[in-house]
Amino acid sequence: MTDFPPSAAAASVRSAEHDASPAIPLAAASVLAACVAAGCVWAAIRFDPMGGVAAAGVAAALSVLPGYWLGRRWGAFPGRARKLMFRVADELAQYRAFTRLLRDQGDRITETTEDAALVIVAGLRDIDAQVAQVVAQIAAEVPLQAQDPLQRMARKIGDPVVEMLGKLQFQDVTRQQLAFLSKLSLVVDAHMIALAQQLGDRRSLDRVGEFKQMFAQALDDCVMPSQRQDHHVASDLDPTEEAGPKVELF
Amino acid sequence: MATTVFIVDDSATILMSMEAILTKAGYAVAKAVSGEDAVTKLQGGFKPGLIITDIHMGAMNGIELIKKVRAMAGFQFVPILVVTTESQQSKRDEARAAKATGWLVKPVQPDDLTRVVKQILPHG
Repeated sequence: MTDFPPSAAAASVRSAEHDASPAIPLAAASVLAACVAAGCVWAAIRFDPMGGVAAAGVAAALSVLPGYWLGRRWGAFPGRARKLMFRVADELAQYRAFTRLLRDQGDRITETTEDAALVIVAGLRDIDAQVAQVVAQIAAEVPLQAQDPLQRMARKIGDPVVEMLGKLQFQDVTRQQLAFLSKLSLVVDAHMIALAQQLGDRRSLDRVGEFKQMFAQALDDCVMPSQRQDHHVASDLDPTEEAGPKVELF
Repeated sequence: MATTVFIVDDSATILMSMEAILTKAGYAVAKAVSGEDAVTKLQGGFKPGLIITDIHMGAMNGIELIKKVRAMAGFQFVPILVVTTESQQSKRDEARAAKATGWLVKPVQPDDLTRVVKQILPHG
């Protein structure tokens, strides 16, 4: 499997490991400062100036303990949760390897089937041309009374050619279906990257598109009724669609 | 001389198989691999008896191609058939509004294709 470098999202989460989350320590510091200030005011009222300062020092020293405890308890995400976030961000970024593999395989199928289809078309045209040549040769060289069965036999060989040529359109239909899957995988890719970034950035909450919108976009990208029907089934909707006639002159 | 059918499609398989079917039916065939390629050939003076185009192609889609062709001098009445995997009514309406002549859904049966082409080009 292709080993993708960690995404910027994963890196941003990883760098956040060393930062304290600012909101909680500020609250803890405020409580601590209020305690120190209250202690100083109380000491200044209760004792003479020098004694008040000493008392303030003692109060500040004592407040370190609850401050330290507050910081440890709420000052940052617990380490395990952080590690889980990095892991999820990394894993989300690695999914790109799978979706890329899916796309590459789709391209490979398209190439292989196209190569094969073109060889078959060329072969069928060749067969058709040779049958026509044989029919002409029979007409020119074989005695009249023996021509009919031979020509019928030759035409029978050539008969399926046109239908087989028509059936080869399967390759183009398959190509378009694979192109649609490829497009879907790119949408999923973009969403996973956005989610990975969100893990390390609270402001990204508004920037990540909603799954519902992505799914609606996928419906817009459909190019044939079977794709829309599959989409409707996945959405738990009635899959029936009025396809219209296969041949219509306006 | 046989009337020329101009097939526009980004699929090599479709170009070759349709060419084979129509050649066997007695028509001359010319091909273009994209809307842009088709426009270039038409602007170069090539005038087919019928244009058959796909809808989903690269930069220029089939509807845009029809609009461009209809805007060209001498191409207002050249029949244009759409052959596509798409069968949505809204897309058909778009093609009709762009002055397409007809709509065939892929995969199209060879008999259907030749019948429609004969209907459009009775003296082909």
